Amino acid sequence: MIIEIGHYALVLALATALIVSVLPVIGARRGDVAMMALAPTGSLVLFVLVAFSFGVLTWAYVVSDFSVANVWENSHSLMPLIYKFSGVWGNHEGSMLLWLLILVFFSALVAVFGRNLPDTLRANVLAVQAWISIAFLFFILLTSNPFLRLDPAPAEGQDLNPVLQDLGLAIHPPLLYLGYVGFSVCFSFAVAALMEGRIDAAWARWVRPWTLAVWTFLTAGIAMGSYWAYYELGWGGWWFWDPVENASFMPWLAGTALLHSALVMEKREALKIWTVLLAIMTFSLSLLGTFLVRSGVLTSVHSFATDPTRGIFILCILGIFIGGAFALFAWRAPMLKAGGIFAPISREGALVLNNLILTVATATVLTGTLYPLVLETLTGEKISVGAPFFNMTFGLLMLPLLVAVPFGPVLAWKRGDLLGALQRLYVFAGLALVAGLAFFYIQNGGPVLAIFGLVLGFWGMIGAFADLWYRANFAKVGLSVGLKRLAGLPRSVFGTAIAHFGLGVTVLGIFAATTFGTETVVEMKQGASVDAGGYSLTYDGLRDAVGPNYTEQRGHFTVSRGGVQVADVWSSKRLYTARRMPTTEAGILTFGLSQLYVSLGDAMESGGMVVRIWWKPFILCIWGGALVMMVGGFVSLSDRRLRVGAPSRKAKPVKATLEAAE
Amino acid sequence: MQYWATMVLWIILAALTAAVAAILILPFARAAKTASADRAGEVAVYRDQLAELDRDRAQGLIEPQEAEYARAEIGRRLLAAAAAGEGKAYVAPKARKYALATTVVTLVPPLVGLCLYLALGNPGLPDQPLEARLANPGNNVALLVAKAERHLAENPNDGAGWDLLAPIYFRSMRLGDAEMAYRNAIRILGPSPVRLAGLGETLVASNDGIVTEDARSAFEQAVKLDPDNPRSRFYVGLGFEQAGRAAEARAQFETIAKGSPADAPWMQLINQHIVKNGGTIATGQDTARAPGNPSPADVAAAANMSQGDRQAMIRGMVDSLAERLKQDPNNLEGWVRLVRSYSVLGDKSSAEDALKSGLKQFPSSGELVALANEMGITVEGVAQ
Repeated sequence: MIIEIGHYALVLALATALIVSVLPVIGARRGDVAMMALAPTGSLVLFVLVAFSFGVLTWAYVVSDFSVANVWENSHSLMPLIYKFSGVWGNHEGSMLLWLLILVFFSALVAVFGRNLPDTLRANVLAVQAWISIAFLFFILLTSNPFLRLDPAPAEGQDLNPVLQDLGLAIHPPLLYLGYVGFSVCFSFAVAALMEGRIDAAWARWVRPWTLAVWTFLTAGIAMGSYWAYYELGWGGWWFWDPVENASFMPWLAGTALLHSALVMEKREALKIWTVLLAIMTFSLSLLGTFLVRSGVLTSVHSFATDPTRGIFILCILGIFIGGAFALFAWRAPMLKAGGIFAPISREGALVLNNLILTVATATVLTGTLYPLVLETLTGEKISVGAPFFNMTFGLLMLPLLVAVPFGPVLAWKRGDLLGALQRLYVFAGLALVAGLAFFYIQNGGPVLAIFGLVLGFWGMIGAFADLWYRANFAKVGLSVGLKRLAGLPRSVFGTAIAHFGLGVTVLGIFAATTFGTETVVEMKQGASVDAGGYSLTYDGLRDAVGPNYTEQRGHFTVSRGGVQVADVWSSKRLYTARRMPTTEAGILTFGLSQLYVSLGDAMESGGMVVRIWWKPFILCIWGGALVMMVGGFVSLSDRRLRVGAPSRKAKPVKATLEAAE
Repeated sequence: MQYWATMVLWIILAALTAAVAAILILPFARAAKTASADRAGEVAVYRDQLAELDRDRAQGLIEPQEAEYARAEIGRRLLAAAAAGEGKAYVAPKARKYALATTVVTLVPPLVGLCLYLALGNPGLPDQPLEARLANPGNNVALLVAKAERHLAENPNDGAGWDLLAPIYFRSMRLGDAEMAYRNAIRILGPSPVRLAGLGETLVASNDGIVTEDARSAFEQAVKLDPDNPRSRFYVGLGFEQAGRAAEARAQFETIAKGSPADAPWMQLINQHIVKNGGTIATGQDTARAPGNPSPADVAAAANMSQGDRQAMIRGMVDSLAERLKQDPNNLEGWVRLVRSYSVLGDKSSAEDALKSGLKQFPSSGELVALANEMGITVEGVAQ
């Protein structure tokens, strides 16, 4: 009975969304307060209904109710509890429900914390959110319904895809979706502004922090997905330019541009059209990503089921929302008043450059992702666009951007002084060069390009603090006054510095891991040893072990350095019994920021095992940098200035906007 | 009881719908409150921007002259927003009647809810958490199996449990599980003829009828423990036969024939295999023959014939089988054999005709459909 109530709640959510999608828009046109007030109330009801529905599905997973087809297909009564939870979104239907839940969660946040927004804007934003909700509610109910039942119910489930039985997966999709779906709010703001034909200052005050919060989650989600692929798939790589990865990376690139563009808009009311366009583009890319991943056009761990009706359905959603938004943009954007003017060399100018490069980079990734698909549809020819393409195009585009990043913050608004900025930065450039050379000397080896990459990484890391240095003005006023000045700076300045530092750390990690890393594939017999990264691994043999729902063969390795044993590591091959599906569990040892990665291959007839061993120096910098970027995002979000925003209309100050996202 | 549960469900659904509609109507009931102009927030933002500009200027982030321009720019916007905000209020909402809007809000939830839910939902189906079902499994074999599985997951060394479960797995064609269960039972309780034979048969079934080395060694062990078991010995023989070791195969089959009563139901099968492996049959039994099977005499005769004569004799037998089936079509086994014989003889059209006639008689026979698939014959109206 509870399951049926959950199913009905979802249907009722559709009815509510239908109401919220129409009446508030009429209300906003007529200036009718009551009709506009329906938007926040309705959005809250919508959230409660969908959350209840999601809770019911989770309950069905926890108690292993196999009369629900979705539970039967993706769960097993003996699975550990945590995977029963994560199993809810470890499949197509459940993950779409999570998508929807996060969408209506954001609507509810706008409803609750958006009291300081103009009434019409809030009504329109929530109505646009409701349109998106309707599309996905129809999609879920008609093509991907998780509440379909089985009668008679089977006695045991078919187990969750073993690759997905992992702690990383339990967190990766919700984080990624928080980012992905969060951009829907920026989209809704953009569409609402276009509908009103006017962007007011409160708009920018809202969109910037919102984008920042969402961007932070997306950064975390992508980094986590990358780390998950790194240790779970056992291929030793951390980014494959796989279409599914690109699908999440494109919104990130566009979102990064949006973030910077919204900054200019908030400060100087310039770049309005850029900001609106980027807001539409970012969410369109999120939708495109959903389509690519969910329609079965791409085959990967993410495409749980391939069903042409689903693909066509999402394609229609895609067409309506992207097409509609861009048509609206083409029609209404010229009506938006241009904002403040600025010289080409200025902070605004630097951010326009940033927007341009990021947009073009997004376009190259989009091309590389879609071109093989289009070619296959048109000619039937199968090609794969891999790392070489992306390294040549995307990589090349990123280089000037990485060089430019430290310049942005030290340029003045409206009209900057490039020569002055250069003068201010040359000390930092020198420091970066020295650090890069020193690093190279210590690691000793690798192509010349590596030096350039390392310097670039350090340039990003060190240059990030140039702005702080000059604002505090240590050189002139001395240490103690400088520190006081530093403490007085707004937190967003620190946020910028930290995030740019994080970018530098990631770049450093990428160059160090790819140029100094080693890969060894050997057949090892018991007692054999292999050297990697200055460590020596000895293979001690295999042992059988049994887990709750799998059996495994674990290989044991002793790791020593200079003849002294420093660590040991297990690397295993698992067989999940219910699905008879093998997986590899790589053994990973961390030494500082570097890692030793051991993956078991096939057993040879001679009694040996094929073993792959990678030495990955400074690999943790890649994800560590992303973490630092996240911290930067949160620091910037905590800035007092953003909370003031557009003050509440009532006397009582509402501490709004941003807690929402925290 | 089921009826009551469904009633309660519908009452809850109705209450839920009513609650949602009521909450959504609330804003209309409260409509009397006045609205403020919506540009107050904007004015505040511009004021804040001016303050920020001063901060930036103090920190030297913007040139004084540029700051003046910016101040003028923001000031203009501030004035415009303040002017637009004044005297502009929303239409007095009191005067509005919300007849249409309230009707929509009242009707949409029940209508959409009912229509979609009736099409998609299963109101009569109760929740079925696994624990509750396992506590009261009734006669549901699948549940009993699941229960036994859980018990064994906790006590993997309960040999009796594996012993019980193995044949059930085998019968429900979960061959991988059956193999594991038999092996566990043998490991824990030691080998017995029944377990070994069960393991052997599981292996044979999962290899599409081929007696593998593994399977044969299991059967051989079973025969060692229980030499009088014709079943295990038969598989040992079959394994030799498939491996092309005719003499050893015949020895096994003849041992069975010797040890079995003359009217044992398996004797016919055994005799066939003896003949196939080049032996002759001791007694001229002619019992329990399916129509169309060659009698031992026919077979013996065929062995001495020339190639052409043999072909003619087989053809004759097949034709007589077809004739018999025409008179008495109610013989599935006969149809299967007929189709197969025609295709062995290379007469594809006759095979198709026979298949069609057979399917007419036994439309739901999986065996015939499988045969059709195997031979690559498409039969109208039959799902492949």
